[in-house]
Amino acid sequence: MAREATSSSNEAFATSVSGIVSSLARDYAANTPQRLKVIDAYMAFCVVVGVLQFVYCGLAGTFPYNAFLAGFGSAVACFVFAANLRMKTNPKNRAQFPTGSPEGAFTEFVFCHIALHFIVANFLG
Amino acid sequence: MNLLALLGTLLLLSSVWIGTVEAKSSVGDRVLVLVPKLESAKHYSRFLDSLKTRGFDLSLSAASNTSVSLQIDGERLFDHAILLAPAAKKMGGGLTPQDFVRFVNDGGNLLVAVSSELSDFHRKLGKQFGIDFEPRGSWAIDHSEFAEQNNQTDHRLIAATNLAKVPAVLSPEILTGGSGTNASLPVFYKGIAHRYQAKNPLLIPLLVGSTTTYSGKTEVDKDGNIRSAAVDDMPLSGKSVGLVSVFQTRNNARVAFSGSTALFSDPLFKRTESGNAPFVESISKWVFQEKSVLRESNHRHYLLSTGEQPDHYLITNDMVYEIDLSVYNNDKWHPYKADDVQFEAIMLDPYIRVTLNRTQTSDSSATAATYHGHIRLPDRYGTFTFRVNYKRTGYSNVDVQDTVAIWPLRHDGYPRFLTAAYPYYTGSLVMVLGFLALSAVWLWNAEPAALKESKDMQKPRDDEKKKTKSKSK
Repeated sequence: MAREATSSSNEAFATSVSGIVSSLARDYAANTPQRLKVIDAYMAFCVVVGVLQFVYCGLAGTFPYNAFLAGFGSAVACFVFAANLRMKTNPKNRAQFPTGSPEGAFTEFVFCHIALHFIVANFLG
Repeated sequence: MNLLALLGTLLLLSSVWIGTVEAKSSVGDRVLVLVPKLESAKHYSRFLDSLKTRGFDLSLSAASNTSVSLQIDGERLFDHAILLAPAAKKMGGGLTPQDFVRFVNDGGNLLVAVSSELSDFHRKLGKQFGIDFEPRGSWAIDHSEFAEQNNQTDHRLIAATNLAKVPAVLSPEILTGGSGTNASLPVFYKGIAHRYQAKNPLLIPLLVGSTTTYSGKTEVDKDGNIRSAAVDDMPLSGKSVGLVSVFQTRNNARVAFSGSTALFSDPLFKRTESGNAPFVESISKWVFQEKSVLRESNHRHYLLSTGEQPDHYLITNDMVYEIDLSVYNNDKWHPYKADDVQFEAIMLDPYIRVTLNRTQTSDSSATAATYHGHIRLPDRYGTFTFRVNYKRTGYSNVDVQDTVAIWPLRHDGYPRFLTAAYPYYTGSLVMVLGFLALSAVWLWNAEPAALKESKDMQKPRDDEKKKTKSKSK
């Protein structure tokens, strides 16, 4: 009896978890603007590139350390810039950024990136 | 006339040739021998005659002779000196122990024999070389290992066998007791003992007492026998009883001290079963630089790639160091063969210390053995010293030093791209491309989202308006 009860509760839990995930995905697909979805994909890409470089550094050693810092830092900074862009262009955050426009946020994003990649290229060795 | 001139040159050449053959010592053959009186030299006739047959030019002199001097205008007059006058308070015309130390510092070799009645001069001279003679009037005594003399037992005449195993000084026949007729015979010794500094690396206690040897005084009893006096204090005993010690200075001059003049005398040479003659021959050959003289005849270092010695090396260069070593034995320079010759590259600390390998050669007439080492220089720039510092017991010191500069790589000497860093290059490039891709999507491919966004953007603005209105109300 107890087993059945636990299994049934597990099933209920599983269905509820899958239900949460699926409803989350559905909600995300339906209610998130496409621009934010693109930014989300870009941020996931940044994480993958950063983790790959970190794993490589762990396996191959820290030499050349400056190149590692440049490559890994580039991924981290891109992630941060994308997060900022997402915050500023998210319509739900409009109240927090009453003065800025999405175009202005994108301009800032571009300038930050130009500076970042200039520094990274210098630091790469 | 021409024929005469030719004969003259031939004669001159042959005399030069004979001269070179006769000089058996590697440094020179002028010997000063100081004895108490000229007549007493005959006690040591066998020893002195053996020196003459070995090609030495002996200048025999009484210790009291005031015309004796060791040098004129800073130039040594003798290459070697033998002091056989232990009781003399002054040497020659007021020569002090310091004069003999200076003589040794100038490269002269010194053989000193003293006896129980030694003067202050000898005590002071010994102290300069880490040798501390026992009080005047004392003897090295052994009640177990003594020799009979004239059917009288005299425990001061020791039959010493405790030789230091130093093949560079003592010939192998003496040490191993091989097939030679004089093999492993005792060395007869009658004289004073000395303390030696066991920790002094320059000093070799060549002949020391056995376990039953000690240093003490003697007295004559009513029957006329010599008896050992009572020992009242802890005497110098056993292996710490120094009998014969040799010393090699840092400038490769050699000094020997014997507490017994009798060791060199004819009666003890002539005794049956006496090992004195080969022992004295060994130490005199060593002291007068006839054997175990080591020298570096040549050395070089060069880049492995070019085979030439550069102005300066670069860090982590591959280079070769070579050194030629000869040893003087039996009247000739021979290749010195060893497996412990080490090279060091030093900048305050040794960065590299490697054992050099002997280059095999089929040339049997070679006078030097070549040692070589392939060395990768350290990843460190600065002024380095290449050094071979070879110091082995009984051999002359070889210390060869070169100061070389090791430079860092030039700015364009480094590799432009490192293989290990390729993932990082790719990573940062991929991030640039990602940024460009995002920008492209943002600018040209966001129509539907823009429409939707514009709708969404209306709402919060309406809310704001409502808020401001309620506030104003």
